[in-house]
Amino acid sequence: MKVNPVLLEVFQNRFSSIAEEMGVTLHRTAFSPNIKERRDFSCAVFDRDGEMIAQAAHIPVHLGSMPMSVKLAVLSTPWEDGDMVILNDPFKGGTHLPDITIVAPVFASGAKPVFYMANRAHHADVGGMSSGSMPLSTSIFQEGLIIPPLKLMEKGLVDQKIMSFLLNNVRTPMEREGDFSAQIMANITGVRRMEELIHKHTLESVDFYAQSLMDYAERITRHTIQHIPNGVYTFEDFLDDDGVSSKDIRIHVAITIQGDEAILDFRKSDHQVDGSINAVYAITLSAVLYVFRALVEEAIPTNEGILRPIKVLTRKGSVIDAQFPAAVAGGNVETSQRIVDVVLGALSQALPKAIPAASQGTMNNMTIGGTDPRNQRSFAYYETVGGGMGATARGVGESGVHSHMTNTLNTPIEALEYSYPFLVTQYSIRRGTGGKGLHKGGDGIVREIQLLADAEVTILSERRRHSPYGLWGGEPGDVGRNTIIRDGNLVEKPGKFSVSLREKDIIRIETPGGGGFGKQEMWGKEQQQRRRP
Amino acid sequence: MVVIGVDTGGTFTDFVYKEGSRWGIYKVLSTPSSPATAVLRELQQIGWEKKKQITHGTTVATNAILERKGSKTALITNKGFEDIVEIGRQNRSRMYDLAYRKEPHLVSSGLRFGVAGRTLSTGEELEPFDVAGAQEVILRLRELEVQSVAVCFLFSFINPAHEQKIGRMLGKTGVSVSLSHQILAEFREFERASTTVVNAYVSPKIQEYIGILMEGLDDQDRLAVMQSNGGSISARTAMKEPVRTILSGPAGGAVGALEIGRMAGHTKLIGLDMGGTSTDVCLIDNSLSLTVESQISGYPVKVPMIDIHTVGAGGGSIASLDVGGSLKVGPESAGADPGPICYGKGDQITVTDANLYLGRLIPEHFLGGTMKLRRDRIEDHFQRMAKEANLSAGELAEGILAVANATMEKAIRVISVERGHDPREFGLFAFGGAGGMHAAFLARLLSIPSVLVPQNPGILSAMGMLMADTIKDYSLTVMRNELNASYEELSALFLELERQGLQDLKKEGFAEEHVRFHRYLDMRYQGQSHEIVVPFTADYVASFHNLHEKSYGYRNVGKVVETVNIRLRACSTPDKPQFQKTKEKSAPIATRAILGDCKVTFDQEITETKIFARDKLSYGNKINGPAIVTEYSSTIVIPPFARAFVDEYSNILLEIME
Repeated sequence: MKVNPVLLEVFQNRFSSIAEEMGVTLHRTAFSPNIKERRDFSCAVFDRDGEMIAQAAHIPVHLGSMPMSVKLAVLSTPWEDGDMVILNDPFKGGTHLPDITIVAPVFASGAKPVFYMANRAHHADVGGMSSGSMPLSTSIFQEGLIIPPLKLMEKGLVDQKIMSFLLNNVRTPMEREGDFSAQIMANITGVRRMEELIHKHTLESVDFYAQSLMDYAERITRHTIQHIPNGVYTFEDFLDDDGVSSKDIRIHVAITIQGDEAILDFRKSDHQVDGSINAVYAITLSAVLYVFRALVEEAIPTNEGILRPIKVLTRKGSVIDAQFPAAVAGGNVETSQRIVDVVLGALSQALPKAIPAASQGTMNNMTIGGTDPRNQRSFAYYETVGGGMGATARGVGESGVHSHMTNTLNTPIEALEYSYPFLVTQYSIRRGTGGKGLHKGGDGIVREIQLLADAEVTILSERRRHSPYGLWGGEPGDVGRNTIIRDGNLVEKPGKFSVSLREKDIIRIETPGGGGFGKQEMWGKEQQQRRRP
Repeated sequence: MVVIGVDTGGTFTDFVYKEGSRWGIYKVLSTPSSPATAVLRELQQIGWEKKKQITHGTTVATNAILERKGSKTALITNKGFEDIVEIGRQNRSRMYDLAYRKEPHLVSSGLRFGVAGRTLSTGEELEPFDVAGAQEVILRLRELEVQSVAVCFLFSFINPAHEQKIGRMLGKTGVSVSLSHQILAEFREFERASTTVVNAYVSPKIQEYIGILMEGLDDQDRLAVMQSNGGSISARTAMKEPVRTILSGPAGGAVGALEIGRMAGHTKLIGLDMGGTSTDVCLIDNSLSLTVESQISGYPVKVPMIDIHTVGAGGGSIASLDVGGSLKVGPESAGADPGPICYGKGDQITVTDANLYLGRLIPEHFLGGTMKLRRDRIEDHFQRMAKEANLSAGELAEGILAVANATMEKAIRVISVERGHDPREFGLFAFGGAGGMHAAFLARLLSIPSVLVPQNPGILSAMGMLMADTIKDYSLTVMRNELNASYEELSALFLELERQGLQDLKKEGFAEEHVRFHRYLDMRYQGQSHEIVVPFTADYVASFHNLHEKSYGYRNVGKVVETVNIRLRACSTPDKPQFQKTKEKSAPIATRAILGDCKVTFDQEITETKIFARDKLSYGNKINGPAIVTEYSSTIVIPPFARAFVDEYSNILLEIME
């Protein structure tokens, strides 16, 4: 078969529309605010080997990591029509425990699956030492329920033994069950659509164009890398701490650009740490995939082809390739951001005009759990807070927005106060926190929540000591701050902490600004020159 | 009396009018710098000194936002929450854009003010309204010469006391005021604030525009404005709530599809309006599907609107090969200038050029032959791109249409499949300049069995405006569940909205007995945060379970069901023009309509094809594909896999036979 440019485009449309329809189903039928309001999920289509063909534009951190989950799920069991496998084990293709993936096969009247549909959603609680399951842990066993690849569904029926086991190990079982059904429904939607597609176009051509689309993404990525000057570019940056000790944690990359290929060597990064900010390899891959996807200007499908011209070297047991039984809850959300920062920092030397200064570099994870006095039910709330984006050669950085590896929505204040015993006392842009420069970095956010019940609070945040870097003379963005206000008294807290709070206490999160771009005085000079007759 | 529908578009302003049994249609160039000029001039032509009943589709509100030419607007909200409209939902609409910037907000940070005072989710007042603080803000507004003010306080939809207080204070200053609990009494503060700000931002502009129109009309004339919800409303009301007119023009087309379809006996239709730069699709299942999740230029507008989905595929969409070797069509458009290559100026291949290349556009009959299509200009361009794509020129041309059709197919899937409808149960209602050229192919792609192309598909929006009901929508967040609110209690909550609805429609000139109410609930399972709209009946909980299962494939009987909002639609039907059925059936063969023969490519085969004149076709005529039907502003392609017949209302119906 020969690639037809028309069918290539038509199939690109078809595959992405299937992934998007799965997303619509998941979003509309999910129960938890985290999935529904914040849309913390991703859906994708995979070939028979678990290679990703298309993904709906959801959450970047799921991009590179979903394929690893699916590949393991594929090998985990013999498949039959109507089966679905569930998993979250970070050391078997997952990222951190709250991200639960469900995989379904597509049979085209053959004996073996020909495609797989999968979706991943961030669940607000999967058990473990603190509610919300984003703890300051020192081992994976404290973070919640570890689910190896298991058949949650067999021949179209949910395995009630597994379901009941899962639900008995989480704090909000009703919500989890609702979210699981939504994930199952999303896969059913995907499988149905894929079967229709095969029926219409034959398995042979669907298969052929699935592969062609990966080749296509690969060609365009190579074309993009070709335009980066050859050379070796190194950069390093630090995580503040691991939540257990207060030692800097180095992330280092050396990028070699050679023709249309790139090698990213992270082997000089620090060893894995005690605290929960270790990242498994899948996360590092996701971060790299995100950066290169962002460098491509064409509207390409996000698939495995993008990674083909890119080699990622890591050292097993390092903080960006953590091994069992490392604590990993925060690696997905925090360390992933720093990996992006160093990759972009290195590339800025090669592409000074295309690469922005550092964005806030954290997701400011906040989990609050307790019992709602209004109905005596336990609740688990999880939210992340946006901040400043780095400025670019083209202009200032955006303020009050999520950057790089996440794109989740906030929970509206009115929705929050209906659902939880909270009173939001401030939600505003943290003015003047973006780094100064020719182009100013974006400003962070201030979010203050007053508790209306005693609660357990865990904050997992970064860039409280090491500020987001500026570029080409631009100043760094301001670091973030975490404060507890009790009876009018302010208590400064570190970037990562867990604490039991009382009714009336206020949690105040101030998120970092983005780095500035270019020297501020350059602007002045330019203006003066222009004024001269 | 003359009844007139007027639709102002970017290029043309369309008029449809009826006086007694006489119909008239007009198309004149718009006057964008002062849209009222073209409208008033032609209205005088149509009916000077006659009593006129006019329904108008206007782009004044939409353009004020798209071009950011609204009034100087301030926002007053709770202290500490002034930035809510700037932060929005904190996400980026383009995830892989390293230099991402949001659309700058309609109200800059210097014009956003906080006033102390706080209401809780129960409606209780936690902190009293700060009158002194409000007075200071109002002084600042004067200094800053603000023309319009939006007010949005947290939980104002439950207890509007604070908004009412500041509303009264602002009322004395003479600025235009939009209070969030009046514009949209629903929870989710960002969306409510955004809707209120959009209203405030366009209010003075709309007031000025409608003022000019009214001045140019007689006292006896009645002027109504088309709203985005598919109903018309008096110009006076529209001046107060212009946010409800954002989709004024496209809503006219959707209503036209609904009413003409209904008349001809089709109640399940997908509307396809294909124009030069984009295509709008909507869904009709006895009534028009509505949505409360619309946006304009990135700003959420949560008032009910017809669920119209727009994609960047139209006649002017540009085809190109990207570096990876994939054929792209749109969203870039050659527009009216330079336009497609065959119009004489452009040099990038468009969808229109591909249709011409394949012989599906007949140059002699395009716009009645008044505009020359240059077949000679396109050949080289097609040869060149075809060589690059490793295709024949014919394959490339059909490929361009296939890619454009795939984009439109996706749009149709969004409004049908993604909303729980099976497109195979619907007919396609094609209008706009290019709808009839692509409809049969799209129908085949989606297994839609039939296509309807109305008469004068190019002016359907203006036609729809003549046929619209008068509608007012009301909503209120009540946040109840099946355990703590009975049917009777919910019914009681509707009474206040109905009182308001009755009062408003009486003002529109309708007698009480002609006002109809439709009650709906926005419902969800407790813990969900997406609501579905359910008609309010005694067994509304059961209806919710059923609808939920239909839309999403499952029900959860064990879960508590919540009623988030109550919704009321008040409508009445003004005098509408009636269409005459043709009684006499013509012979199937339409010999007198044949204009000649041409060669058209279908599936890479050059096929001898007959050309028919639409205005010579009559009820009973049948045409087997392949055939081309031309009329002044549009062309219908009947491919070999379709056949057509003309119904009693002169609609052309295509039957897809594959």
